[in-house]
Amino acid sequence: MMDNIWLASAVWIGLALFSSLISIRLALSVALIEIVVGALGGNLIGLPLTPWVNYLAGFGAILLTFLAGAEVDMDVVRRNFGASIGIGFISFLLPYLGCMLAARYVLAWPWSQAQIAGISLSTTSVAVVYAVMVETGLNKTELGKIILAACFVTDLGTVLALGIVFASFTMWLLAFAASTIVVVALLPRFAPPFFALVGQRVSEPQIKFLLLILFALGGFATAVGSEAVLPAYLIGMALAPAFRHDPELPHRMRVIAFAILTPFYFLKAGSLVDAKTLVSGVLLIALFLGMKMATKFIGILPLTRYFRFQNREGMYTTLLMSTGLTFGSISALYGLTNHIIDQTQYTILLTSVIASAVVPTVIAQKWFLPKVGLAKQEV
Amino acid sequence: MFRHIAIAHDGSEGGLRALALACDLAKLHHATLHMISVEEIPDIPASIDEVIEIKSQQNHKFHDALSGARAIAKEKGVKLNAEVVAGHPVAAVVAFVKSKKADLLVVGFMGHSALFERIIGSTADRLVRLAPCPVLVAK
Repeated sequence: MMDNIWLASAVWIGLALFSSLISIRLALSVALIEIVVGALGGNLIGLPLTPWVNYLAGFGAILLTFLAGAEVDMDVVRRNFGASIGIGFISFLLPYLGCMLAARYVLAWPWSQAQIAGISLSTTSVAVVYAVMVETGLNKTELGKIILAACFVTDLGTVLALGIVFASFTMWLLAFAASTIVVVALLPRFAPPFFALVGQRVSEPQIKFLLLILFALGGFATAVGSEAVLPAYLIGMALAPAFRHDPELPHRMRVIAFAILTPFYFLKAGSLVDAKTLVSGVLLIALFLGMKMATKFIGILPLTRYFRFQNREGMYTTLLMSTGLTFGSISALYGLTNHIIDQTQYTILLTSVIASAVVPTVIAQKWFLPKVGLAKQEV
Repeated sequence: MFRHIAIAHDGSEGGLRALALACDLAKLHHATLHMISVEEIPDIPASIDEVIEIKSQQNHKFHDALSGARAIAKEKGVKLNAEVVAGHPVAAVVAFVKSKKADLLVVGFMGHSALFERIIGSTADRLVRLAPCPVLVAK
């Protein structure tokens, strides 16, 4: 049946629709449900990863990263530069080193595989942090803005690491870096007038323009052994101020991404999970989760003291910054797709990433909620 | 007998029935009526946009629910103190009841369906167990 491209499409889209309905019913993220449904589908019925599925999933990862970059509020980062850069960088560096060294010296993984472990678990889920902040009203406070800005910096560290660590250090890499810098510098100046010139049309010239840049730089990145998500995140960051003035364009891109592309990415990410490893690797999953949380604590908690957060706020901030989901899964899947890690290692890393989205959030909400209470919402 | 009555309104038909009942009780007992509506933000979202989009949908829903509730209270001649918060419905309602020192909580039978509730029971079930005051479930 899977040889028939349309029937295979129906199966994938059917699973995506099923995931959407479950996520609405359970009030849980559709991305998480897609990973779980993908894992069930992959292990129970088998989901063949044809070239077109891989293409759509890769396209989804690029758009997802681009849209994540477009969420960066550079004004907030600039206003809280010291705290956000300090906390954000340490929040990336220590888990990266800690998890990498644990993989290398405790589990005897080769360096390249240990690197993937470090990168996958270095992330912070900006979205999880933001959702919790909306509930508490912290997103409107200075503390909340510092935390959010630090999360952006952590994600940038993860994306840079993924883009640089496995790249071939040749003149072509320099050319790629130079091209990316030029595009990122010029785009904020030239893209908005172009968008205004062509306007919003059914043929979507604005989106095609952005896709052209994403594909071109993504292709260049892949050719030099880097990763297409690196330029995607940087381009998103560069255009974030323009999108803040005109949120309609990223909204239309988001609709395309989440309706058609990211389901393939998350379902694929889930389908590659090996159910048997979930049981046999539970200790390793706990090790990576523990190492991620421990290193986040070692790095961030003292900084929160330095920046004069209250005890409870410091613990809350540290726990929230221990979460991770999207970039962690992108990094693990990058490792598997490029044959750096095997399916067993991928299953352990992806599950650790998912656990890091859930466990610190629950602990933070349950025991360390800052005493601001639930914020009244303006409706 | 009741001085502060809390009503949890989720915008459903059950919530409306609970509100009408709470208004009648507040009038009968000359009690102050406090209403809470809880916006449920998805747990573990994949993007900030997902949060913003759902928050926007919930704002729209509760804007209408709030307007409708105020109209019902006005019609019944009761002053309504209403607020909307975001969070887990059970935890938020329990915290609200405590903060208002309510001596009665009125809830509708219909409720949300979050994962927590799938495993533990309905919102009303949980509120009956966890609220620090008597709970009246309107059917």
